[in-house]
Amino acid sequence: MIKLTIDGKEVELEKPVTVLEAAKKAGIRIPTLCYFEGLSPFGGCRLCLVEVEKLPKLQTACTLMAADGMVVRTETEQIKAARRAMLEFLLINHPLDCPYCDKAGECELQDLVAKYGPEAGRFAEGKRQHPENFDDPIIVRNMERCVLCTRCIRMCNDLQGAYAITVTGRGSHSFVEPFSGGKYNCEYCGNCLTVCPVGAIMSRLHRHSYRPWFVEKEVETTCGYCGVGCSLILQMREERIIRTIPRVGLGLNNGLLCVRGRFGYDFVESRDRLSTPMINVNGELRPVSWQEAYEFVIRRLKEIKETHGPTAIGGIASGRCTNEDNYMLQRLMRFVIGTNNIDSTARLYYAPAVAYLEQIFGQGITANLIPGIANSDGALVIGGDPTTINPILGLQIRALWRSGGKVIVVGAPGGLKRFASYEVVPRPFAEEIVLSAVVSRLVKEKELKGELTHLEEKIKGLKEPAEGDLQAAGVSAETIDRMVTDLKAMETPVIVIGPELLQHGRPSKNLFLTAALAYAINARMFVLSERPNYQGVIDMGCLPDMLPGGRPIDFEMFRHKIEETLGKEVPQNKGLNLFEMIDAAADGRLKALYVMGEDLLFSLPGREKTRKALEGLDLLIVQDIYLTETAKMADVVLPAASWSEKDGTFTNLERRIQRVRAGRTISSGRPDWQIVSEIARGLGDDKVFSSAHDVWEEVIHISPLHAGLSYEDISEGKAIWPYHGEPLRGVEGEFDVEGLDSLPKVDTDAIILNMHRPLYHSGSTSRRSKALISIFPEPVLMMNPSDAKGIGVEEGEKVRLATSNASIEVKVKIDRDLQQGVVSLSNTFEGVNFMRFVDYTVEPTTGSMVITNNSVKLEKVKE
Amino acid sequence: MTVQELFKKIFFVEILKGMALTLSRLFTKPVTRRYPKEKRPAQLGFRGLHALVRNPATGDAKCVGCGLCAAICPSRCIYIYTSEGPDHQKVVDRYEIEVLRCVYCAFCVEACPFGAVVLTPHYEYADYSREDFYMTKEKLLENWDKYMGEKGFEYFDKFWNPKSTHFTTPEGQAIWRRKSG
Ligand code: SF4
Ligand code: SF4
Ligand code: SF4
Ligand code: SF4
Ligand code: SF4
Ligand code: FES
Repeated sequence: MIKLTIDGKEVELEKPVTVLEAAKKAGIRIPTLCYFEGLSPFGGCRLCLVEVEKLPKLQTACTLMAADGMVVRTETEQIKAARRAMLEFLLINHPLDCPYCDKAGECELQDLVAKYGPEAGRFAEGKRQHPENFDDPIIVRNMERCVLCTRCIRMCNDLQGAYAITVTGRGSHSFVEPFSGGKYNCEYCGNCLTVCPVGAIMSRLHRHSYRPWFVEKEVETTCGYCGVGCSLILQMREERIIRTIPRVGLGLNNGLLCVRGRFGYDFVESRDRLSTPMINVNGELRPVSWQEAYEFVIRRLKEIKETHGPTAIGGIASGRCTNEDNYMLQRLMRFVIGTNNIDSTARLYYAPAVAYLEQIFGQGITANLIPGIANSDGALVIGGDPTTINPILGLQIRALWRSGGKVIVVGAPGGLKRFASYEVVPRPFAEEIVLSAVVSRLVKEKELKGELTHLEEKIKGLKEPAEGDLQAAGVSAETIDRMVTDLKAMETPVIVIGPELLQHGRPSKNLFLTAALAYAINARMFVLSERPNYQGVIDMGCLPDMLPGGRPIDFEMFRHKIEETLGKEVPQNKGLNLFEMIDAAADGRLKALYVMGEDLLFSLPGREKTRKALEGLDLLIVQDIYLTETAKMADVVLPAASWSEKDGTFTNLERRIQRVRAGRTISSGRPDWQIVSEIARGLGDDKVFSSAHDVWEEVIHISPLHAGLSYEDISEGKAIWPYHGEPLRGVEGEFDVEGLDSLPKVDTDAIILNMHRPLYHSGSTSRRSKALISIFPEPVLMMNPSDAKGIGVEEGEKVRLATSNASIEVKVKIDRDLQQGVVSLSNTFEGVNFMRFVDYTVEPTTGSMVITNNSVKLEKVKE
Repeated sequence: MTVQELFKKIFFVEILKGMALTLSRLFTKPVTRRYPKEKRPAQLGFRGLHALVRNPATGDAKCVGCGLCAAICPSRCIYIYTSEGPDHQKVVDRYEIEVLRCVYCAFCVEACPFGAVVLTPHYEYADYSREDFYMTKEKLLENWDKYMGEKGFEYFDKFWNPKSTHFTTPEGQAIWRRKSG
C-alpha cells in the first residue's frame, strides 16, 4: 500500500502508478498536453509539473511514480509560473489562427493557454513557417501548429503499429512527417487525429465546416463495416454526419477506429442512393409509389404461392442489415409465406464455419471476447489477415505480440508482418497439409482431454503427412516442429480463422483440423466476419435449417415452442440454402426471390450461372440502398434506409449485441424491417410492428438465446454472450469430415487468383464512400515481385487477367508480402471484381463454397 | 405641531406650490416626442438590428466564420455554415440570425475577434411575418450598408472597441493580442 498526500488529500494506492494517475484517483486534475491515456508516458511538454516535498526541482507528474510518503502540490505560484513559461515557449512557434483552425473549441493548447497562458509573448523572432500540406486526400497537416507532443507518433507506433510517421528536423524546426513524404502511405486509421491535441493533423472530410458547438446531436452507434462492431459516435448537424469519432472507454474499440469506421461514413450521402420504388415494365425500371410497389409485390407473391406453393419462394437476408431487419425477413418467409428457404451471404464462409464448430463443441464456441486477445500468450492466425478484415481485432493480435506472446501466421502475414513471431507460408491451399502435420504431431506429444469422443476418434483416424507431402506443400519438417513446440507451450492461446480456410481446398477438413488443434491446446476461436452482422443473420434464424436463437429446425420441440408463442405454423422441412436457391431458380423450381441488402451478382462466384438463375425467376424483389447490378435485373426495387438512418441492433463476431441508432431522421428509403412488415401484412399477417423495438420485443420472446434481453440492457453493454438466455448445448457431437484419410494434391505451377481484402474497402459499399475511394481509387491486381518479373510487368502497368469466365485488363500493384504463385484482386469495383472471374462448388458436408476456376492466365498488355 | 406647520396646513402652501409648478409648465415646450412623426436619434452604441461588417477591401463580409459569436450567443440564434473554398480557405456559406430570438446582449459583438458583427442603431423593423426577421448573410450585409455604412468604422471602433480589429499573426512575427484593448 502506497500512501501519499496530494494537495492536502490523502491518497492510497493499491499498485504503483504515476503521480498523475494518483491525482486523478483523488479527483485532482493536473493539466497535461503530451500525456494521453493508453499511450506510453513521454514527459515532453512539462505542463504537468508538480512540486514534491524534498525534491529540489519541479517534477513531471506523468512520468513520476508515486512513492510512499510523498507530499505533492499541484497548483502553487511557482508551478503556475513554470506552466506559463512552457506555454509561452510553445507559442513562439504556434500560430494564433484559432478562428480559421478547425480544432478551435476542442484544442487542448487553447484551453491551457486560456487557463495558464501568458497574456502576451515576448518573442519577436519569426515563427516557424510551414505551409499546410494538402498532398493527402484525407489528412491535412499544418505543421505550424504542431507542438511536438509526439502523441500521434506514439499512437501510430505503439497502438496502431503502422510506424508511418516520425519527427523530422531539429530543435524548434522539428515537425511531424509521414515516412512516405506528403501523401500518407499508411493504414489511415486516423487514430493519430484523435490524439493530436492541436489542429496540426486533421481530417479533410470536415475541413472548415466543423466546430464542436455546431454539433446538434451526438448519436452512439455501431460501425456498419465489419464484424468487430466498434462503437462510434455520429456527430450530426441537421441531416449530415459531420464526422464519426470513437471515445475512450466506449465499446470494445476503446477509442480506436479503423479507416472504414472513421472515414467511410459518407457512403450514406452518395448520389447513387435509391429514392423511389421501381417496377420493371418491359425491361425498364419505372418509378412508382410505395403503395403501388407494395401492391405489386403482394399480388405477385400471392399468385406464386398459390400456383407453385410456398417452397417456390425464397429470401436472402443481409449481413449489413440489423437483427430486426433480418428477423422480419425470416418471419415473412417462415411464418407468413411458409417456407424455410432463407439464407444469406454468411453462407460464403461464416455461417458454415460457425455451424460446423458449434456442431463439434456446442453453441457459442466462437463467442469469445475480442479485448481478451491482447491478454493471451499466443495466437495462431489462419485463413486471412485480421488486420484488414477485422482491423480492430487485428490490433489486439499486434498487442498480444507486443506483450511478448507468440503469433504464428499460416499464410501471407499481411498486416501482421511485423507482429508475427514467424509465418508459415505453404503453397496455395496446402494449409491442410500443414495443419494435418501439426495436429498429428501434437496429439502424439500431448494427451487429449478425453471430453469429446467424436472429435478424438476422428483425430486418431487422421492421415499424417509424410516428408514428401510436406515438401510438396513447401513447408519443412523443422517448421512443423517449431509450430508444435510453440503451440504446446501456449497457455491461453487464441485461434483466428479467416474466410480462406473455407473457401479453398476442403473446408470440412480444414475446419476439423483447426477444431482439433483448438481442442488439443485449449484455444479460444474467433471467426473473422466481413460484415457487421453475419452473426446476427445466423442468430435471427436466416438459415434454411435453423430457427431464431440457433435452434435446429429438425427438433419438433423448438418448432412447437415458436408455434405456441406466435400462433403461427412453422414449416417442417429444411429449406434451400443460398446455393441451392440459385440452382433451384436455374431449373425452375424457385419462382420468386426476395433479396434484401445483397448484390448477388456481384458477391457470388459463378456470375453467369447466377445471372441465368435470376433471369429465370418469375419475380425478383430487390431491396437495397443502391441500384446494384442485381437490382437492375429486378422486377421490383424497394429503396431501403441505410445504416445511420434506422434503429436496431447488430451482433458482432464475438456475439456481442450492440445498438445501431439513427442519426439522420430523413431517409430516401424505408427501414428494411418496415418494408418487410408491410408486405407481410398484405399477405395476411395480422401483427403490426411500429418500430424496430417492437420487432426486438418479439425476438426476445421467441428466441431462447435472447430471452428477456431488452434494448436498455443492450445499451448498457450487458449483451455479451451468453446473455441471460440459454445457449443450446448437448446436441453437439456428430459431424462429418471429408477426406480424413487422404491429403490434397498441391498444384505447383498454376497462378492462383485469390480474393484481396483491402483494409480500405468492404464489399461494394465502400466504393460509394468518396473518402475511401480517394485512398484506394481503382481495381489493382496484387502481385508478388517475382511473378510480376516473370511476365515482365512493373507496378502501374496493365496485365490482362483471364479465366474462362472473364478476360479483363487491370493495373498491377507489387506486393512483396504476397506469396509466389498467387495474385489477388478485390471484390469492390464494378466490372473488375474478383467474383466475376471464378466459379464455385459446394462442399456438401459444411455447405460452404469452394472457389474453383481460379487458376488464371496473365499477360502483359502492350501499351 | 408648530405654529409654522399649522400655518402651512391652513393656507395649503404645499398644494399652491405644486399648482404653481403646473402653471409654469403650461407655458413651456412639451418633452414627449410625437413618435413616429418625430424621431429621436439612437444613442451611441444603441443595440438595434444586427449587421455584418462589410470589408471595404473585398466587398464581402469581414466575418471569417470562426463561430465564436454563435458559441457565445445565449439564445443560440446565430447559425453559421462554413466550408472549404477552392484554395483551401474557409468560406462562410451561410450566416444567419434569427432576430426574433435575440436578446440584444451584444455578446456576439464582443466575442468577435474581427469586429465583423455589430448591432446597428436601427430599431424600427416591425414587420408582418417571421421570415422577415430571419436575417441571412445578404440581408445582414445590407444592414451594414444602410445603417452603419455612413457612420462607418470610426463610430464602430469608437463605441464597440472590438477586442482585436485584425486577428492575423503578422508575417513571421510572434505577436499576441496586446495587453490592453
Ligand atoms: S492514420 Fe493511423 S496509420 Fe496513418 S499515420 Fe495516423 S495513426 Fe499512423
Ligand atoms: S502532430 Fe499533433 S499529435 Fe503529433 S506531435 Fe504534433 S501536436 Fe502532437
Ligand atoms: S474494425 Fe470494423 S467495426 Fe471497427 S471501425 Fe473498422 S470496420 Fe468498423
Ligand atoms: S445580441 Fe446576444 S442574443 Fe442577440 S445574437 Fe448577439 S449574442 Fe445572440
Ligand atoms: S465571431 Fe465574428 S468572425 Fe467569427 S463567425 Fe462571428 S461574426 Fe464571423
Ligand atoms: S503531460 Fe507530463 S510532461 Fe507532458
